[in-house]
Amino acid sequence: MADVWIYSEENLRASQMASQVAELGFTPRLVEANGSLRPDAGDGAAARPPDLAVVIGDEALCGRLRDDEVLADVPILLSVRAEDLNGAPLEAEELLVPPFTPAELEARIARARRRLGGSEEAQTVRAGSLVVDLITYQVTVGGEPIDFAFKEYELLRFLVTHPGRVFSREALLNRVWGYDYYGGARTVDVHVRRLRAKLGSEHAGRIRTVRGVGYRFDL
Amino acid sequence: MQADAEYVMRVVEERGVQFLRLWFVDVIGSLKSLAVPASELEPALLEGVGLDGSAIEAGARGSERDVYAWPDPRSFQVLPWTQEGRVARMCCELRLPDGEPFAGDSRQALCRVLDQAADLGLTLQVGCEIEFFLFAEDGDPARPPVPLDNGSYFDLTVQDVVSDFGRRAIEHLEQMGIPVTASHHEVAPSQHEIHLKHTDPLSMADAITTFRIVVKEVARDLGLFATFMPKPIGGLSGSGMHLHLSLYEEETNLLYDGDPEDKRGRQFLAGLLAHAAETAAVSNQWVNSYKRLAAGMEAPSHVNWTRDGANALVRVPTGRPGRPESARVELRSPDAAANPYLLFALVLAAGLRGMERGYQLAPAIDAGSAGEALGVSLPGDLGEATALFDASELVRDTLGDRLCDWFVANKRAEWDAYRATVTDFDRDRYLRWL
Repeated sequence: MADVWIYSEENLRASQMASQVAELGFTPRLVEANGSLRPDAGDGAAARPPDLAVVIGDEALCGRLRDDEVLADVPILLSVRAEDLNGAPLEAEELLVPPFTPAELEARIARARRRLGGSEEAQTVRAGSLVVDLITYQVTVGGEPIDFAFKEYELLRFLVTHPGRVFSREALLNRVWGYDYYGGARTVDVHVRRLRAKLGSEHAGRIRTVRGVGYRFDL
Repeated sequence: MQADAEYVMRVVEERGVQFLRLWFVDVIGSLKSLAVPASELEPALLEGVGLDGSAIEAGARGSERDVYAWPDPRSFQVLPWTQEGRVARMCCELRLPDGEPFAGDSRQALCRVLDQAADLGLTLQVGCEIEFFLFAEDGDPARPPVPLDNGSYFDLTVQDVVSDFGRRAIEHLEQMGIPVTASHHEVAPSQHEIHLKHTDPLSMADAITTFRIVVKEVARDLGLFATFMPKPIGGLSGSGMHLHLSLYEEETNLLYDGDPEDKRGRQFLAGLLAHAAETAAVSNQWVNSYKRLAAGMEAPSHVNWTRDGANALVRVPTGRPGRPESARVELRSPDAAANPYLLFALVLAAGLRGMERGYQLAPAIDAGSAGEALGVSLPGDLGEATALFDASELVRDTLGDRLCDWFVANKRAEWDAYRATVTDFDRDRYLRWL
């Protein structure tokens, strides 16, 4: 079930959107307009990023989402009234202009999610002799397969599909593990160490430690 | 199907894995394995694999004879030493048919304590230094082990064999996601030490279980055998498994003495010490374990801690100023023949109890300490350790009565068998003399 976070200063529009989204089979969460970018949920729902953000009206908020290191990659569907349209919205993946039918909402959500999923749709990522096949989960170095445990693979996949960007341990923990883990943020360090050991000397250095910040993958 | 299970299904297909070994341990940590062909993987992931509970614990009740091994897909790992007919392993939880945990499952006992710690916002990190001996395999277990002393051994020199062993063992371990560093002792080419880099306790317990198999497999390939027996040869150092522990609350290492007002790190250490004697039956679970502890040679004999002495139960290395992440305590009593799941469960539970009940930490000993200043003794033998274990509230709270009773029955039987055995010591000393 995909999570959708809904941002709006207008409670009525937010709750209408929530019920429309819920009817399409998504799990909506309302984010209060109190400056936080996360829903106020005690059940851990806020611990991992949603599959989609629906922003109602507030175009500037899209920029804030893009600047948030955990939420930066969440696809955004911006719902904006025709009279408020101010050129093409730069940060949102998809635009929705009311009024709209449930079918249109569903189609716009699908498009928003597909656009950002561009890197996921690529079948393989290459970095020198390292090849990560995102469809078959196979990782090879110079044609030789390397066997990874599930979370090692998930971390590697995340890093190679977001090259050149620095992620904090907390961001990686949220993106790769959610909140189902025992090791705290050190889990990330431990898995990076395992990845480097398995990738071998030629590629270990691609996972760069950015001191005091986190990790970055260099293609 | 969950994403992790799908991952396992796909990798098995892509990599041509033919068999899955489903691993679990009994109460004394002995590895048990069920082999499942790749064609049976999906039902194994979805429904578990049935086995006879009495094969795990002799004392299992009638209703517990049907036990299911549920593979943990996150522990899936191809075994690097099986080139032909590729084989992978998964560690398992043991459950009853209704899905409830099987009382004899050590891995779930550890998970329960980890959950308690997580509820308090705490995570433990464990690093291990594991010692073991390599001997020449001459095919006769009755003869005393032959150390790899200087001199010819097959057509390789000792150093060749030793470095070959180290290289292969490290390669296999790292292929299995267990980063290590290795060294061999100066005292004898036969004794080795491998450091497993720190990780969470569940991963470390799985890693130790894997490690023992890897080391034995690599040794066998080289015509050697490896033993984790705590004291294989009188007069030489025994083999221990020192644990390096750090305790985190969010990003704060509570064992870093940075904040004099925060007593929790000291209370954790006080808990480790206070419960060391009653948990010795797990940290040192064999008759032979106490021969290592009795002999000195840097093995601890009393409950105490130090910053600079060598023989204390716990050593607190001087942390580097301004580097809180390097702060840790080193628990020096356990040996690598312990059940790591129960060991970590009790170590963590002991520390947490120290924090919960606000235990006071006794002063450190130093290199010159002697007599009463050394603190109370660790148990002198398995019989004493088992009695303390049996009567321990902490142990029963942590492991549950059923698991405790099985463990105690197993250890009493071992101790009774030992007491009734006439040994070389008896004959050498008494046969002609008396």
